[in-house]
Amino acid sequence: MSSAVAVEGLAVGYGGAPVLRDVSFSVPPARSVCVLGPNGGGKTTLFRALTGELRPLDGRVQVDGRPAYVAQTERTRLDFPVSALDVALMGSLAHGRWWLPAARQERDAARAALERVGLADEEASRFGELSGGQRQRVLLARAIVQDTPVLLLDEPLAGVDPASAELISALFDELRSEGRTLLVSTHDVRSARRFDLVLCLSRRQVAFGPPAEALDQASLEATYGSELIVIDDDGPLRAVTVQHHEH
Amino acid sequence: MRTALFELGLLAVAAGVLGAWIVLRRLAFFSHAVGTATFPGLVVADASGISATVAGLAVALGYAGGVERAQRAGRVPGEAATGLLLVAALATGVVLASDVFHSGGAVDRLLFGTLLGLSGGDLAVSAAAAVLAGAAALTLGRAWTALAFDPAGAPALGIPTATAERLLLGLVALATVAAIPAVGALLVTALFVVPAATARLFTRSVTGLVAGAVAVAAAEGAVGLYLALWLNAPPGPAVAALGAAVFAAALAARSVA
Repeated sequence: MSSAVAVEGLAVGYGGAPVLRDVSFSVPPARSVCVLGPNGGGKTTLFRALTGELRPLDGRVQVDGRPAYVAQTERTRLDFPVSALDVALMGSLAHGRWWLPAARQERDAARAALERVGLADEEASRFGELSGGQRQRVLLARAIVQDTPVLLLDEPLAGVDPASAELISALFDELRSEGRTLLVSTHDVRSARRFDLVLCLSRRQVAFGPPAEALDQASLEATYGSELIVIDDDGPLRAVTVQHHEH
Repeated sequence: MRTALFELGLLAVAAGVLGAWIVLRRLAFFSHAVGTATFPGLVVADASGISATVAGLAVALGYAGGVERAQRAGRVPGEAATGLLLVAALATGVVLASDVFHSGGAVDRLLFGTLLGLSGGDLAVSAAAAVLAGAAALTLGRAWTALAFDPAGAPALGIPTATAERLLLGLVALATVAAIPAVGALLVTALFVVPAATARLFTRSVTGLVAGAVAVAAAEGAVGLYLALWLNAPPGPAVAALGAAVFAAALAARSVA
C-alpha cells in the first residue's frame, strides 16, 4: 500500500444527512497530519470513519492496518478502578487473543510504553488520580502498546499542562520517525505548524497540504468563519488564535 | 434452610462477578429492570404450570434483546429504552395477575422470593449461572473492562465490543432469572448491584472489585437469610434491607476515613 491513509469522496454522518462531506486526501506512511477545525467541524467524525465505527454514506476510506484511537480524555471515566499499567495493558487486547490473561511480554511492553511517556513511576497509580496531561500520556502508552502503523489522536493537547504537551509533541516526532503515521486533531491553529501536513475541516474539507499551503488566510477563514480573530499581522501562521464561544 | 443457604452462595458468585461489571458498565438500572420485567412471564407460568425458569428466561432475554436493539438503533437513549420497556412489562404483569389469572398470594412470592420450595432445578440453574459467570469473567473480563473504561476507544482495540456487550446483557438476564426464586423479581438488584456498589467503595482494582462483590453478596445473602427466618419475612426484602444498610454504613465509613 503506497499510502497509510487514503480517503476519497467521503461523506459520513449519524443516520441522517452527512455531518462531514467532500473529504479526499491521502497520507504517505511516516507523516504527521494535523486535523484542524472548529468544534463540530467533523474531526471526531472523520476519526470514527477511519476506525470503521461509522460506515461512509458515500466514498471510500482505506487505512493501513487497524488504527489505534485515543478519544478525547474528558470522555474517559475518572472513578474507574484501574491503574496506569492496567490502562496501558488494554492496548495488548488489539493483538488478538483478547480472551486470554495478559502475558508477561505484554506486561513488559506496557511498562516500556509507560516509560516512554515518562510515567514509569506512576504505573500503580489510579488512572483517575493522575493529572489531565498524565492521563493523556497513559492513553498514548495504550496506543503505543497497540503497535499500529496509523494512530488517531483526538485533541490530545487540549487541557494538558505545558510539560506534558512538550513531552507529547516530542513523542509524536519519535513515533513518526519509527515509520508510523499520525493524525492529530486540534482546534489550535498555532500548533498546526509542527506537522508535515494539515487537513482543514469545517463540515467539509477546506484544505489539505503542507502547513505553508493549507494554512493560508482564505482557508483558515473558511475553516473557522467568524470564530477567527487575527491578533497581529506578523504573517498568518504565527499570528492567529481562535476565539471559542463553546460551551 | 441448608438448600436456601447453598442457593444464595451460588447466586453470590454469579451476582458478585457480574455485579462488578454491571457497576462498571453502569448497567444497574438495566439489571433491576430485567429482573422486574420477568414478572408477566412468571405470572403466566405460575397460572399455567409452565416452568418459571423457562418463562422468566424467555421474557428476560427478550427484554435484554429489546433494550439492546433500541439502544443500537439510537432512536431512544439506553436509560429511556430500559425504563419504557420496564413499565410496559410491569403493567402487563399486574393486569395478568389481577384480572386474567387472579394470582392472589402467588404475586408476593414472585415479587419478593421464598425460602421454601427451592427445588433441585432452581439450584441447578443457579449453579449454571455461577459457572457461566465465572467462565465469562475469565475470558471476557479484560474486554468488558476495556469497553466500560473507554466506550469510544474500545472498538479500535479490535475486541468484538458488540458481542461482548450482548454476552454481558445475556448473562445478566440469565443470572437474574436464576436469582428470582430466592429473592424475587423486584429485588434482584439487592444481589447484583448493591454488593458490587459497596465493594466498589473500597477497591482499587477490577479483580479486587469482583472478589469483594462476591464476598459481600455471600455475606449479605447468608445474614439476610437468617434475618428473614427470624423476622418471618420473605428473603428478598431482608437481603435488600441489609444490603442497603451495609452500603450506607460503608459510605459513611469511607467519608470519615
